[in-house]
Amino acid sequence: MAYISVPEIQRTLPQRYRLVGLKCKKCGYLHFPARKVCKNCGAVEEFEEVKLSGRGKVYSYTVIEQGATVYEHTEEAAVGGAFSVALVELEEGVRVMGQITECDPYSVRVGMEVEAVLRRMYEQDIVRYSFKFRPIRFQGRAERP
Amino acid sequence: MMQAKNAVAVVGAGNSRFGDRIDANLSDLFSEAFVEALDSVDKGLDPREIGEFFIGSLSSSGEQIGLSASLLAEYVGKRGAPAMRVEAACASGGYALRAGIMSIIAGANDVVVVGGVEKMRDVSGPQARLWLGVSSDTRWERWHGLTFPGIFALQATRHMYEYGTTREQLAYIAVKNHSNGAENPKAHFRRKITVETVLNSPFVAYPLTLFDCCPTSDGAAVAILCRADIAKNFTDTPIYVSGFGAATDCVAAFDRESLTRFDSAVIASRQAYKMAGLEPKDIDLVELHDCFTISELVLTEDLGFCEKGEGGRFIEEGNTQIGGKVAVNPSGGLKAKGHPIGATGVGQVYEIFHQLRGDVEKRSRQVPGAEVGMAHIQGGFGVAATVHIFTRG
Ligand SMILES: [Zn+2]
Repeated sequence: MAYISVPEIQRTLPQRYRLVGLKCKKCGYLHFPARKVCKNCGAVEEFEEVKLSGRGKVYSYTVIEQGATVYEHTEEAAVGGAFSVALVELEEGVRVMGQITECDPYSVRVGMEVEAVLRRMYEQDIVRYSFKFRPIRFQGRAERP
Repeated sequence: MMQAKNAVAVVGAGNSRFGDRIDANLSDLFSEAFVEALDSVDKGLDPREIGEFFIGSLSSSGEQIGLSASLLAEYVGKRGAPAMRVEAACASGGYALRAGIMSIIAGANDVVVVGGVEKMRDVSGPQARLWLGVSSDTRWERWHGLTFPGIFALQATRHMYEYGTTREQLAYIAVKNHSNGAENPKAHFRRKITVETVLNSPFVAYPLTLFDCCPTSDGAAVAILCRADIAKNFTDTPIYVSGFGAATDCVAAFDRESLTRFDSAVIASRQAYKMAGLEPKDIDLVELHDCFTISELVLTEDLGFCEKGEGGRFIEEGNTQIGGKVAVNPSGGLKAKGHPIGATGVGQVYEIFHQLRGDVEKRSRQVPGAEVGMAHIQGGFGVAATVHIFTRG
């Protein structure tokens, strides 16, 4: 019920902290998050771990307003305000959901280049950390609305 | 095996008033729809003929998760009848309908009650926000603070990027559905709005504002189904189930090939069209899942009423109004009629039942000459969909 248990977080720490995905040994399909069966060829538990680069481009985005967050993010939003959540297409071709941080949430654009960073997410029993994405800066071109 | 096309008929339908139903609990809502459905059977139906109950419900915010169908069947005087709850999030009612149809085609039942019910307004704000969004991917999407409107907002942003769809075009959908809902005595919202109302209301998840979103509602709906060959025992004007289909998709949006297409709707509608031997141009009205304005736009494309990417323009030109090429959500849809989760899919049948019989309670809402109606409903982000095509006998 929208409660991600502490053991579930423990099981998936390499994914949540370091973006570790699984590559199918049979067909090469890259999965993030992990799963037991290859969704491309159906091979069972024949994977090798691959640490994703964390670099990619915004495929689509939204801005979650302060008063409209899911329950467990209420406190974070009360302090941090509205935040952007984006679907990011990583260099490896995998799409990953994540918050966009270190910028005005309304400045996010489709195609914007981002990189993964480890950040505090929210607190529920324990403090929960996760990768987020931030704009890759200093590329000589500004992202302006 | 029995042929599925036109094997099942709808002979009665009831729909409680949707909205803030402080006066009624879960059982009362169901009873209200059940009694209306029984009364609507022209030649009468002895409740003893009802073989089974299929009731769509998500959770009613946790009040009666276990055995709610048994509770409701007993409440309306059918102690002893088999009854089960059917759950597919917002598509629960659609899957209850499918289960009821299947049981008749299988020869297990002659007459069944298909129902849906949800009590959503009794809970506190925080509890509502806990329950909403339990049907998205919790571990890898909700984790990031992504709300349910947020997922559809991602779809809207991408549709705007790929096809140039505008916020005004989305707003127009809300305006149309509020306009239809204003004429519907069962609707949650009965107030007309303007494009400015939508654009100027606060963002919930950019680019969607509060008025791009459907409400949470209390409500119930019931449809009485029977074997087509005995339908005339109950009414001279039954409605036939001419085609149906269903499909599921990945729960997580990040697993999708495309954000701007609902494969479940494409697949389920193809099955239904094929069984019915009909095409999109044959559909006079469709009740479809407009949980958010962008969802109606995408579904207008995916159910085949216009080309992919053309939804915004097609809708803006008035093609989906009552009297247009295809009336989309003449009831007001989820947006204005309301969205009591489990009840919604069965409430669509109530609307189509009356539209095809030409006896909608207000003439302003009657789709002229309606002969073919479609119901589409989906759970989650187009995860579990059903499509049913109904025709006049
Ligand atoms: Zn594989």
